[in-house]
Amino acid sequence: MTSVAATTPSFRRRVGASALVRNRAAVVGLVILVPLLLATIVPWLLTSADPNAQDLTRSLQGPSWQHLLGTDKPGRDVLARVIHGAAPTLLGAIVVVVISGAIGIPAGLFAGYYGGRTESIIMRILDALLAFPALLLAILVVATIGRGLTTAVLALGVIYIPAMARLVRSVTLVQRNQAYVDAGIALGYSDKRIMFRHILPNLVAAIVVQSSIDLAYAILDIAALSFLGLGQQPPDPDWGSMLSDGRSYLLQNPLPAMSAGIAIMLAVIAFNLVGDGLRAQLDPRERQR
Amino acid sequence: MAGYAARRVLSAIPVLLFVSFVTFALIRLAPGDPVLIVLGGKRISPQLIEQLRVQFGLTGDPITQYFAWMGRLFQGDFGESYKLKQDVSDLILARLPVTLELILFSVLIAVAVAIPLGVYQAHRRDSRGDYAGSLFALIAVSSPVYFTAILGVLVFAVWLGVLPAFGRGGPDLLDQARHLLLPAVTLALGMIALTSRMTRSAMIEVLSSDFIEAARAKGLPERTIVVKHGLRNALIPVLTVTSLQVGFLLVGTVLVESTLGLGGLGSLITDSIQNRDYPVIQASVLLLAVAFTLLNLVTDLLYAAIDPRIRYA
Repeated sequence: MTSVAATTPSFRRRVGASALVRNRAAVVGLVILVPLLLATIVPWLLTSADPNAQDLTRSLQGPSWQHLLGTDKPGRDVLARVIHGAAPTLLGAIVVVVISGAIGIPAGLFAGYYGGRTESIIMRILDALLAFPALLLAILVVATIGRGLTTAVLALGVIYIPAMARLVRSVTLVQRNQAYVDAGIALGYSDKRIMFRHILPNLVAAIVVQSSIDLAYAILDIAALSFLGLGQQPPDPDWGSMLSDGRSYLLQNPLPAMSAGIAIMLAVIAFNLVGDGLRAQLDPRERQR
Repeated sequence: MAGYAARRVLSAIPVLLFVSFVTFALIRLAPGDPVLIVLGGKRISPQLIEQLRVQFGLTGDPITQYFAWMGRLFQGDFGESYKLKQDVSDLILARLPVTLELILFSVLIAVAVAIPLGVYQAHRRDSRGDYAGSLFALIAVSSPVYFTAILGVLVFAVWLGVLPAFGRGGPDLLDQARHLLLPAVTLALGMIALTSRMTRSAMIEVLSSDFIEAARAKGLPERTIVVKHGLRNALIPVLTVTSLQVGFLLVGTVLVESTLGLGGLGSLITDSIQNRDYPVIQASVLLLAVAFTLLNLVTDLLYAAIDPRIRYA
């Protein structure tokens, strides 16, 4: 890298290498996702142990054939709790993204398509939500209105709307000026038809990328709320509350806390990898980076 | 610039009003009568309850209550803690230094690590070091702070025994810094990840521009090219992202402080959530949200000062 000549001829090859690595990363992400999704949908396939069954004679045991990841303080099987703990966090995150999409996508479409006053009203309202750091607002809402997974997920869903709406608006603005939109208008199609049948399909790529990144953040936020005791309530298994629980007997047996923490991390890594990989694939500008 | 700055500052006012209104309204929506929470099950006469209502500003319609509350805020009166029976402003002032030190320390660590890392990655693009850096950034951005904090305690305090596990530390500065190191590094990780990514991509863009080629053609030493010509130009987007990141550190402190037992503003919030101590939650959340809004404002102004295109957009 000491001369210009050294960088230029290899440029194409280097770009290729980058894109390939990104895609390999996306594959790794998908591979991590498979067991996580299985744990979410069919946890009983992966473990036969009851995650809530206590056995005080087997408190805080190390790994054994019977309990692969040992037991927690009340003697519950840690592996079963990690597996059954996937559902609240992952399904919760999916619902968060669905809510933010259900409102954010139409809001962004309307704002981008109509522009003018419609746009400024919609975007002003959404910007107001961005006045708070997301997790702080979620903490405030859940702590005051009522703890529990449902409130946590609903609150985060609303808080995530602006990010999705902003993205949809910005890509709609680009599509708005394409010839096919003018053609639709000339043919007398309704605005609704143009927006949802013609523009929306062109936004899918961007929305999918944003969603997978949002999923990663939603998992972190849901787990954080549970960690603070505001999400899933005991005794039901949940990664965030397992981590918080395990903290109190970390020195006797670090496995429960570590397992829950690693589960959260893997889930977030998986969605980040998939999101980055998809972006590299779908956005030609990114491919050059 | 003055026109843009004035408009941007003015636009922060409705946001701040909105933030204060939401904070106020949510606390009022909370289930349970605040007075009964304060009493904690003690039975007293209805007259006394009425007196407490007046004392806590709970009489009249909600709008009047809001304006009365705002009026008191501007006089520095944040109310009284239900639980600790102390002035909320005193509580916050006592806790604030820890949080500010934590944030400052984290930002210093993050910038000191992330910028050299990003520059190195951009310069050695697609090398093993670059991939290792990206992998580190991915893991750092994906790890929940409360998990890395616990992991840090386990590794550095319990297994290696090189750092204290908990608390604030003794009276001398060195001991306090040692206590702050683990929380600060944990908090900095996410920021290191995002800032190094930003530095990397900004540097890649700058390093492929014509004036870098010109510098190479002049035969300048590589170090001068990368640092003096490259980094200086890449630093603009990096610094604005960094200042935005500080806003997110504010929330991070809530999680890190409560995990590692640092008695700052963050653990004040989590403690008062446990105790349903609404005046304390209200005031400290409001403080963080206002700080967040002001940081965004400063970031926008910085950006506009550096990049004239923003002012005319």
